[in-house]
Amino acid sequence: MNKYTFHISGTHCASCKILIEDILSEQSFIKKAHVDLKSEIVEIETDSDLSVDEIVRILTSKVVKNGYSFSAEKAVKIKDDVNVIWKAVPIGLALLSLFFLLQKSGILNLGIGGNATPITGLIIGLIASVSSCLAIVGGLVLSLSAKISQDNVSDTKTFVLFHIGRLVSFAILGGILGSAGIAFGVNFTVTSILGIVASLVMLILGLNLMGIFAKNKVTLHSGLFDFFRKIEHKTLTPLVVGFGTFFLPCGFTQSMQVSALGSGSFMSGLLLMLFFALGTLPMLMLLSFGASSFAHSKQAPLFFKSAGVVVIGFGTFSLLAGLTSLGVIDPLFNI
Amino acid sequence: MNRTASVIIIGAIVIAMSIIYSGDSMSEIGGNVQNVEIRDGIQFITINAKGGYSPRISFAKAGIPTKLIVKTNSTYDCSAALVVRSVGFQKILKNTAEEIIDIGIPKAGEPLRGVCGMGMYGFQVKFD
Repeated sequence: MNKYTFHISGTHCASCKILIEDILSEQSFIKKAHVDLKSEIVEIETDSDLSVDEIVRILTSKVVKNGYSFSAEKAVKIKDDVNVIWKAVPIGLALLSLFFLLQKSGILNLGIGGNATPITGLIIGLIASVSSCLAIVGGLVLSLSAKISQDNVSDTKTFVLFHIGRLVSFAILGGILGSAGIAFGVNFTVTSILGIVASLVMLILGLNLMGIFAKNKVTLHSGLFDFFRKIEHKTLTPLVVGFGTFFLPCGFTQSMQVSALGSGSFMSGLLLMLFFALGTLPMLMLLSFGASSFAHSKQAPLFFKSAGVVVIGFGTFSLLAGLTSLGVIDPLFNI
Repeated sequence: MNRTASVIIIGAIVIAMSIIYSGDSMSEIGGNVQNVEIRDGIQFITINAKGGYSPRISFAKAGIPTKLIVKTNSTYDCSAALVVRSVGFQKILKNTAEEIIDIGIPKAGEPLRGVCGMGMYGFQVKFD
């Protein structure tokens, strides 16, 4: 019986311990596995004669899809530059200010008269993608994209699936709205609650991106991160999230839904919502793929922290707005 | 960028934004705007919905039957998704139309509040 101690990286939650121990215990040659999260080490007992490197290689291959890796030597941790946060906060705040000033300027309220055609749908989509809807849909996309890139999951595939899911579900749901005339997705209470859920997700991911949770490691007792970690790897998840954005509270989406409702046929409703979604695509693509390319660059720590600031700002805004729309609090702002 | 510079920039942004936003909340009170009229014993309050509601604060009389007229004019933003909770009104308004909402006989000191579906725009009618 041999005893080994390996270093582990990628742990971020209390439940990671259980997950890793479970995976390790499933291996036939491992008799006992113990994970210590605080010191980021795992101790195993094995009866195999494999070399240390060989064991590391095999074990890593079992957990790599969950974002963990083992090493015999302690990985040289990229020292988080303390100054990064002092750069990130002003950058994040400046971006947030730009966004709110853009809303304030009123240039987004340009008139689009007449009947809603696919072309007006496209233009409204373009406007919507930089409007206050960006706070919730864009904030969610940015936070999820940054998180996914940070976890080194195959991000391009995930993003493509998300955008496909979004386009296809907008088209199909638009078609159903047009033909059936059933007003789904227009219940304000449901969309408000969804919006609040999304804003809470953003706040948690935002804090996580800023590295506030990472400092004291064992943080969220809920399996939330574990949940994220798991769903990140499913093909279906980005599709479903894309689908879900149809129901997020966004005035532009809602009024396009009403236009689709009134359009009278499956095809016209489909085209209207599809073109609207296409209009929002450039901005959302920029956010997701931009996040990915920054995340793999040298500026990654600065990007994650700045994105964290932006996401926290958007999340707070969406949360307050959601509570206002539910009548829980009085309107605090009017952007 | 060092810590001091960062703190200065953060402070400047916060101050600038709060000036821009606080200055605004004063300006849009419907003092001179005639948006309340009484016809045949019914009080009509007109609110324009586009990129927010205007006027944001209106003053009307209590104790008489009152109707709210919400006008949209190629409105595609959130202000088309109107919620007036006190009368149980929730509707996504047509892009260009006038929606008439019966709000009964308002009592003095109980303002009527409307918000958009996402909650970032709102208006208030005060009754006295």
